[in-house]
Amino acid sequence: MSRRYDSRTTIFSPEGRLYQVEYALEAISHAGTALGILANDGIVLAAERKVTSKLLEQDTSAEKLYILNDNMITAVAGMTADANILINYARQAAQQYLLTYNSDIPCEQLVRRLCDLKQGYTQHGGLRPFGVSFIYAGWDNQRQFQLYQSNPSGNYGGWKATSVGANNASAQSLLKQDYNEDCNLKQACELAVKVLSKTMDSTKLSAEKIEFATVGRTKQGKVYHHLWAAEEIDALLKEHGLGKQDSEEQK
Amino acid sequence: MEVLLGITGKDFTIVAASKATMRGPTVLKSSDDKTRPLSKHTLMAYSGEAGDTVQFAEYVQANIQLYSKRNASELSPYEVSSFVRSELAKSLRSRNPYNVNLLLGGFDPITDKPELYWVDYLASSARVPYAAHGYAQYYCLSTLDKHHHPDISFEQGMKILRMCTDELKRRLPIDFKGVLVKVVTKDGIREEPYEDEKPVYAP
Amino acid sequence: MSGYDRALSVFSPDGHVFQVEYALEAVKRGTCAVAVKGNEIVVLGCEKKSAMKLQDTRITPSKIGLVDDHICLAFAGLNADARILIDKARLEAQSHRLTVEDPVSIEYITKYVAGVQQRYTQSGGVRPFGISTLIVGFDPGSKEARLYQTEPSGIYSAWKANAIGRSSKTVREFLERNHTDSLDRDGTIELTIKSLLEVVQTGAKNIEIAVMTPGNEVAYLQAEEIEKIVEKINTEKDAEAATRRGGRGGAAGPPSAQGQEQVLAERPAGAE
Repeated sequence: MSRRYDSRTTIFSPEGRLYQVEYALEAISHAGTALGILANDGIVLAAERKVTSKLLEQDTSAEKLYILNDNMITAVAGMTADANILINYARQAAQQYLLTYNSDIPCEQLVRRLCDLKQGYTQHGGLRPFGVSFIYAGWDNQRQFQLYQSNPSGNYGGWKATSVGANNASAQSLLKQDYNEDCNLKQACELAVKVLSKTMDSTKLSAEKIEFATVGRTKQGKVYHHLWAAEEIDALLKEHGLGKQDSEEQK
Repeated sequence: MEVLLGITGKDFTIVAASKATMRGPTVLKSSDDKTRPLSKHTLMAYSGEAGDTVQFAEYVQANIQLYSKRNASELSPYEVSSFVRSELAKSLRSRNPYNVNLLLGGFDPITDKPELYWVDYLASSARVPYAAHGYAQYYCLSTLDKHHHPDISFEQGMKILRMCTDELKRRLPIDFKGVLVKVVTKDGIREEPYEDEKPVYAP
Repeated sequence: MSGYDRALSVFSPDGHVFQVEYALEAVKRGTCAVAVKGNEIVVLGCEKKSAMKLQDTRITPSKIGLVDDHICLAFAGLNADARILIDKARLEAQSHRLTVEDPVSIEYITKYVAGVQQRYTQSGGVRPFGISTLIVGFDPGSKEARLYQTEPSGIYSAWKANAIGRSSKTVREFLERNHTDSLDRDGTIELTIKSLLEVVQTGAKNIEIAVMTPGNEVAYLQAEEIEKIVEKINTEKDAEAATRRGGRGGAAGPPSAQGQEQVLAERPAGAE
C-alpha cells in the first residue's frame, strides 16, 4: 500500500492540479519570513532566522541568505537542505557561464536555470519537488537592479518588493502600503526592518533573529554584495528604535 | 593565401576577407564570402582548412543565435569572443581539432565602442585595434601601424584599407580576387561596396 | 479509488489515459490565449494576469515566446512547463538551421512540439506537459499565415482562428461566429481583441498582443494602441446596443439579451 505514494512522479489531480507542488508551497508558508525590496540604488534582502541559540556561531552559519555569484544573492524560505542543493547548482551554473563567456551571468538567466531544475522535479521520475522558495537580488548591465521570486513549481516573476514564508500575506500588504518606487537603499533597509518587526512572532528584534544583506554598486560602478554582520544589524535596529530595549535586557 | 583584415575606428569596425576560394594553387571561385554574422552586432571572418572553416563558423553561429532566442538578448562581442575561444580550446584538445583562424569584428551597443578580436586555431584571443591573418600580416601591419589611430573616421578607415589591399595586390604572388568588405556599427552589420578591379603593379 | 489515474501512461479499462485528461484540466485553469489568421498577417492575443502593484513588469516573463525569428508561440497552462517546452523548440529550430541551412517550417516545429508532448504521455516516470500551445508564423518565403494548436496528448491541428485556456470554448464560439477569410491587418487585430474581451472583463491592461507579418520581426502592440482599439470596440458595441434598443421600442427581449442590455444601458448614464 505504501508503495502507492512513494517512487512516484508528481502527477495531475483530476482537477488538473499538482498536489505535490501545492503541498511544497504549504511547507514554505510555515518557514521563516524572507523579503526583498528594490531601491533605485540597490536591493535589500532580509530574513527571519528560526534557529536562535546563544551557542550558535553568529557570523559563520547563515541560514537564510546566500551569495550565488558576484552579482547576485538570494534569500531562502523553506527546507534549507533542499536549498543547499539548489544554491550549489546555481553557483556552479554561474561559474560555468563565467568560464564560457567571461562575464557574469545575467540575473534572469541564472534564475531561469534554477527554475528549470525545479520544474524538472515536478515532472520527472520518482522525485518530490524542491520545498523552497527563493528571493533573488542582483544586478546586470542589461536590466540593472533586479528582484525575482521563485517557488517550487518552477515559476518565477520579477518584483519591486516581495516576501515569502510565514506571514507573507501580511508582509506583502505592509510592503504594498509603504513601498515607494523612488526609495533609496537606506529607506529600503528601514522599510525592511519595519515590516519584519511587524510580521515576526517575537516582539523584539535582535541581530540573532534576523539576517540582512544588500546589493549595490560602488562609485566606480562595480557591483558589490554585502551580508551584514551582527553589529551592523544592531546599529540599524537601534537607529530605528526597534531593537534597543532588547539589547539592554540582554545586558 | 587567404586574406583577413580588420580595422576599428571611432564608431565602426571594418572587416575585409578575400573573395577567392582556393585549392592548392587553383582558384575555384572568386566571389566567396568568408564571413558569418553571429548576432546583430558581431561578425566573424574565417580562414584556414577549407571544410573546417564553414563547419566551425556555422556551428558557432547557430549557438550564438540560439542564445539570443533563448534569452531574448544579445551577447556582447567580448562575450562572443570568449565563447568562440573556449570552443576552439575544447576543439584543440580533441582528437581532430578545427584548423580555423578568425577575426571577430563587432560593436558593443552598451559601451558604445567598436571591438575587434584576433583569434587563431591555437585558441589564443586578443583584442586589437586592427588585425590581419595569414600572409596579409606581413604586408599590412606596418601600414596599419603607421596610419591607424583609434579615433579615425569611417572614410579614413576605408582609405587605410585601400592602402592595405593595394599593397597586398602589389606583393602577394597569387591573386586573391579582391576583398569583400563588411562594416559593423551601432546599427548592425552591412556590406560596403568596394572597388577591386583596378590593377596595381609592383615596381 | 480506481488506481488507473495514479500510475502514469496506463490505460484504464474503458480506454482513458487519465493523466493526459487531467493535464487538459491544467490547461483550462491557465489564462486564455487566442490566435487569428488574416491576409498576410497572424495575431496572437493573451490574457495577461493583472500585475500587482509591487510586481516588476519589466522582468516578468510573458506568455508569448519567440521560437525563431519567424515563429511565435503562446501557451495556456503551467508556466514552468511551457518554458521547458519552448526551450526545446528553440533548440530544434536552430539545430534544423544548422543541419539543413533552412529555417524550420511552422508545421515542422509544431510536429516537433507535439511529438515531445506525446512522448511525455507514454514514457515511464514522467507526467505530461500541462500546456496547450498555439504556434503561429510564416513559412520561409511564404506570405500565407500558419496557425497550429498542440495539446498535452500530442495532438496537433491547423486552424483559421482558435483559443486555448480558460473559457476557450466561449472564445472559440465567438470566433466561429465572427471570423471571415482574408481579414486585413486592422480587422485581424480587432477580432483578436474582441474575442479576448469575451473573457477578459478588465479590458486593455490585461491584454497582450503580438503581430506577425511575412518577413518581419514580431511586433508587440503598445498598451496605448490596445487601449485605443478596446475603446473603439466598446463605442461600437454601445452604438449597436443603442440602435437595437431604439428599434425594439421597449419590448421585452429574450432574457439573455436583456441581461446584456442592462449593462450597456448603464454605461452612457455613467459617462454623462
